[in-house]
Amino acid sequence: MELKTIELTKKFGSRAAVNGLNITLSNGVYGLLGANGAGKTTLMRLLCNIQNPTSGKILLNGKNIVGLGEKYRELLGYLPQHFGYYPNFTALDFLLYIAALKGLSEKTAKKKSKELLEAVDLSAESKHKIQTFSGGMKQRLGIAQAMLNDPHILILDEPTAGLDPKERVRFRNLISVFAKKRIVILSTHIVSDVEFIAEEIIMMKSGQVVHFGKPQEITAEINGQVWECIVPSEKAEKSAATFNTSNLRNIDGSQTILRIIADHPPMENALPVQPNLEDLYLFYFKGDTKR
Amino acid sequence: MKKLIEFELRKIFSKRLTQTALILILLLSIFLGFSGYQNKFAFDGKSLEGTGKLAVEIDKKIAAKYSGPLTDEKIQQMMSDFKPKSDLHGMNAVYLYQNAMQSAVFAHFSDINGNWNGLHVSDVFGDEKINIGYIDGWLSTSETMAKIFLVLSFIIIITIAPVFCSEYSGIDNIILTSKYGRTKCGTAKTTASIIAVFIITLLVTSLNFLIAFLLYGSDGLDCSILFAPLIYTEGYIPFNITCSTLFKYQFLLAFTGTISVAGITLPISAISKNQMTALVTAAAIYFLPAILPISETNPLFRLIGLFPLYHAQFISLMSIEQMSNGLLYAIWTVPAALIFIGIGVFASYKIFAKHQVL
Repeated sequence: MELKTIELTKKFGSRAAVNGLNITLSNGVYGLLGANGAGKTTLMRLLCNIQNPTSGKILLNGKNIVGLGEKYRELLGYLPQHFGYYPNFTALDFLLYIAALKGLSEKTAKKKSKELLEAVDLSAESKHKIQTFSGGMKQRLGIAQAMLNDPHILILDEPTAGLDPKERVRFRNLISVFAKKRIVILSTHIVSDVEFIAEEIIMMKSGQVVHFGKPQEITAEINGQVWECIVPSEKAEKSAATFNTSNLRNIDGSQTILRIIADHPPMENALPVQPNLEDLYLFYFKGDTKR
Repeated sequence: MKKLIEFELRKIFSKRLTQTALILILLLSIFLGFSGYQNKFAFDGKSLEGTGKLAVEIDKKIAAKYSGPLTDEKIQQMMSDFKPKSDLHGMNAVYLYQNAMQSAVFAHFSDINGNWNGLHVSDVFGDEKINIGYIDGWLSTSETMAKIFLVLSFIIIITIAPVFCSEYSGIDNIILTSKYGRTKCGTAKTTASIIAVFIITLLVTSLNFLIAFLLYGSDGLDCSILFAPLIYTEGYIPFNITCSTLFKYQFLLAFTGTISVAGITLPISAISKNQMTALVTAAAIYFLPAILPISETNPLFRLIGLFPLYHAQFISLMSIEQMSNGLLYAIWTVPAALIFIGIGVFASYKIFAKHQVL
């Protein structure tokens, strides 16, 4: 299966949220990274065909998704960043309703709903009304509905928002098992989530892809530009504000290790370290003026 | 599809505003039905007078005395029985109200002093056979129902307005990416809306009919509305139809009215961003014909009269014409309602199917 965008552009007025995007996605997990306003959500909506592109097209195995209609949507699972819900529905009813919309038979709908409620740890709350759910519980329900039809293309916008660390681990495991022979695209601000499960990273900025590749390949681009420096704790805050700092770690109460992204050693005692995705993220989205 | 329609019906009826509105209209029906009953007054022209239950009994007793075809003899008898016994101090006797039968006979056959005006049955009604009896209960029920059906139309707007636009607060993301989100979902929504409208209309009309039946009994359904007490606007319908026919039309118009309202509200719901916008816009369109400068004598009223506002306020529409096949012009509300709902269903389906998430 191959999902391909050709010169995909979406403009809101004169501002291009997605600008001439050309990417090809095949089976695997893709992590979509970018600052707010980078165009991640718009790209996901375009891929879901709930927003029409201003120009360009999206092809699934060479066929325009607009023309495929139901055949394309049958393959799709989508968790939007913000999704409404029916407060008077129970979790199980909500899943059964979405299953009906996805064209599942009643028997399959019940079976899949129960399985997924179990998978997202909501089976004990299956008969509870959604209006009583916490943000994290609603998010887990959202993940479950996206997977009801065993989608071949699963698009998840900020799926780990509102999840506690235990739930995030559960989610990552769920996606890892699910992702075989499927296209999974997920966006998140929690870079470590992407780092753990994404095979490929798509980094977006101003509606364009600035990086597309395996995590180790794209972090290699900033090899030699990530440093760790030890500074007295009282100077740590000032130093962090001066440099593009990805992390501060106190070591013995009087000293702090700063992780700094810079072209040259920022301090005399700076030691080069192996860059990770978070460093790369900050390199692109925080340190423009400091690079 | 059946499952989707069930879910849509559940969404419609689980809304707090819809539930409250439904309870209110049922309570209003009961309140107006019983208050109308309690406000009844009758005096038999001799010694017996009363309100409420007693008034109905007096009116029924008087009606029983004269029931059957209206004749000149009965007119003379009634004029004699109900002749004012006190000085009217210049008031026109036509506006005197003793009881339903007296009011009806004075409306047509009395001069200013309460004496026979010299007209015969044939002078007033031509060759029409006028069957008289106890129609006061049914006419007051009809009048109450005209008010109830106006409120009912508004409740249909409240019920249908959120059908599409309530999804636009985020759930549309999920619906429109599901297999049937742009196809069967729209069909399920419009079908459920029509079913909901039928259920609500049937519930309200049945309750009103039941209340009337319990309070007034079944007397008079075969009697002509032309021999109506002066207070009833139904008397302005210039055709010799029975109370039963009047009710059949009124029930039909209740359904055509609510179906037409649904036809107007559905596309507005599909195009609106929120429920309040949909509700206000649909209500404005519903009431628009009332402010148009088109009187009932204007030929254009034949068209304007087919808008749902006049299905509820049915007297004007019922008064337009009796066609050669005996049916009243009001029957045209049936194709009008089908056109309203047909356009509404088609437009809302298309708008929702093409909806873009923002």
